[in-house]
Amino acid sequence: MAELLSPPDFRNALEHAMKGREAKNASFSQAWANGELERHHFARWAENHYHYVGPFADYLGYIYSNAPDSATEAKDFLLQNMYEEELSDIRHTDLLIRFAEACGTTRERVMDIDNATAVTRGLQGWCYATAIREHFAVAAAALVVGLESQVPSIYSKQYPVLLEKYGFAEEEVEFFDLHITSDEIHGERGYQIVLQYADTPELQERSLQLVRHGADARFAYTKALYDTYVLPPEVVDPSSPIEPALA
Amino acid sequence: MPTIRFSTSGREVHFPDGDEVNLLRVAIRNSCGIPFKCASGNCGTDRVRVDSGAENLDPPRKRERDRLAELLGEGYRLACQTYVRGDLTVTWDPDQVELGATGRVYDKLKQVWLAKDDTA
Repeated sequence: MAELLSPPDFRNALEHAMKGREAKNASFSQAWANGELERHHFARWAENHYHYVGPFADYLGYIYSNAPDSATEAKDFLLQNMYEEELSDIRHTDLLIRFAEACGTTRERVMDIDNATAVTRGLQGWCYATAIREHFAVAAAALVVGLESQVPSIYSKQYPVLLEKYGFAEEEVEFFDLHITSDEIHGERGYQIVLQYADTPELQERSLQLVRHGADARFAYTKALYDTYVLPPEVVDPSSPIEPALA
Repeated sequence: MPTIRFSTSGREVHFPDGDEVNLLRVAIRNSCGIPFKCASGNCGTDRVRVDSGAENLDPPRKRERDRLAELLGEGYRLACQTYVRGDLTVTWDPDQVELGATGRVYDKLKQVWLAKDDTA
């Protein structure tokens, strides 16, 4: 049986678990950061992204309900995170829809899950299943560390391009600016929760596994956007692996 | 290696040359004691006064400009919105709470609360 890792070693292991799987390196993210996409590609991204992040407070609500009363710090963090997604200011999905509308699509199209890819729907389902079925610390590792903590590294490359190359107004791209900073803090708080409450070798091991799965899922979701909306149909190789090729 | 000095709590944190780090994230990770609440640039609980090193900070972002207004000119920044790339020294009031309960967050919540019948 594995030994319990010290907090610094466990943190290093969590960070290492995402290496080679970061969504910032997926084809759609790189094309975006390099200024190779067009506004209609951003519209398709928004129509998909809504179905991944839109239920984020729902996911956190399931994790919250699985956390015991004694896990006060974890519950407070989850509640604060839910509040920020939905109520603390403009609802985050409304900021996403504002960007989507600036890209030429509509609220109705964004909210219609038939406009999302199968991979996006799979990512949403994985998030729900993980939140509902896993120990709360493991689920926090998967969703907050594996998924949410990646956001600043992705959006910090995409946000300047939106302003400088595509000429979006600051208000139209507030969704990105907000998450560059807020998810820095959510990610850090997420690490703290996982380090504190994944307190057995089994929970640590499962946390690491689900961080890997979460990072793989986000990578696959992002790559599928490129394959679906950017590559011409004849270029997509159905035998191409959907997961990142790890060294 | 640049150093962030959290004068109020007496803590110092070093970070690698060439890195750009979020001030509140560094403070949370190293238990440096900056009070915070929303971490989204809304509440202002994490405002700090920059005693030195302002030239090593990113320009204020939109939310920070909106929230701090004239306090920016007095040397204040919001830790959650601030990225650091060199030496910095900051102080704060350890008992500080959010900036005045005004603005669109408060107005929105007030609308929600006042719209509900009080059936208690």
